[in-house]
Amino acid sequence: MNARIKYSVLLVGVGVILAFLPFDASESFRLKSDELLAKSATGDMFLQVDQVARMINQEDSTIQLIDVRDAVQYHAGNLPGSINIPLSDLLKPSWEGTLNQKETKKIFYGNDDQVASTAWTIVTGLGYQNNFVIKGGLNEWYRVVMLSKFSGGNITPAENALFENRLNARRTFTQLNSLPDSLKGRYFKTKRIKLQKLDGGCQ
Amino acid sequence: MKLLRDFKVVVFVLVILLILVVSRVSDQQVFKEKVAVAINEANDNRNVVTSDQLKKNVSPFVVIDLDGKVQQDTISGQPSVSIPFEKLLDHENRNILNNAKGDIILMAKEAATASKAWVILNQLGYKRVKILSPEVHPEELKYKFQPDTTTRLENDSN
Repeated sequence: MNARIKYSVLLVGVGVILAFLPFDASESFRLKSDELLAKSATGDMFLQVDQVARMINQEDSTIQLIDVRDAVQYHAGNLPGSINIPLSDLLKPSWEGTLNQKETKKIFYGNDDQVASTAWTIVTGLGYQNNFVIKGGLNEWYRVVMLSKFSGGNITPAENALFENRLNARRTFTQLNSLPDSLKGRYFKTKRIKLQKLDGGCQ
Repeated sequence: MKLLRDFKVVVFVLVILLILVVSRVSDQQVFKEKVAVAINEANDNRNVVTSDQLKKNVSPFVVIDLDGKVQQDTISGQPSVSIPFEKLLDHENRNILNNAKGDIILMAKEAATASKAWVILNQLGYKRVKILSPEVHPEELKYKFQPDTTTRLENDSN
């Protein structure tokens, strides 16, 4: 039998089997359900707002904050250094490079936990690694960081460090979100130069 | 027979492929739904239901408590079914979900727990699964940002 006929029959057979597949594996989760459930059941996915505030203050380059709200809400106020990937855009090919890499911690947040947790479960199910969620989202950020006050006579060094961390993050958040969009990109660079000047260092 | 002999390699490859496909399709652990389905439903808030909406609902539903408690459900008058989140996919719990009549309503103290369970069940192909939310807009920002109008970007040209 001619080899070409055999190859043709093989290809047609494979094509028929693939055509009758009941689902498209390329558009489905790569993790198995028990694997995803096991990852979801641990509390490891959550970061507290104080941890995120510290990362923002340190301008931590190993994290990428991801705001999953819509563009209108994002532009009304967002965490410093965050990018906007609304839940509806999560599968856009243009975001694949950002989401599907494990070098940086991808930290999702919304106004609360629901949408960010949905986004976390989806990207984790797709097999992307190093994903986290800010516990309580922006509501918790406002409650803990933006509205934090110290009251009382004495303050321990730990309390002082915590309060200073929140105060610095609050200042950065307020300054950045008070700027027009066109200037936001230059905020951190300008802040660094200002600090260098205060330290007496050269640019 | 001669034809089969001539094509034995081709038939062998196709049979192996068919076995692999059948085993994957019949594997209950494999997600089969398109991810876009979950995104669209969650984005439109179609996966959330409030107590008030449930009260108006005439179709049957079963409330699943993901915190592992059994509570008297005040809406249906029936006790909720306790399925701790980490045991959501255990065999007996899968049977409960498979045999549920009407909507499956997920309830948890933490919104994140119900959201994660919803995505998992949605992608396993469970239809009519919803999250019971205490509020109509659970994702509403409760605070308003007050801009600092005195903020200026320092001149970085020098």
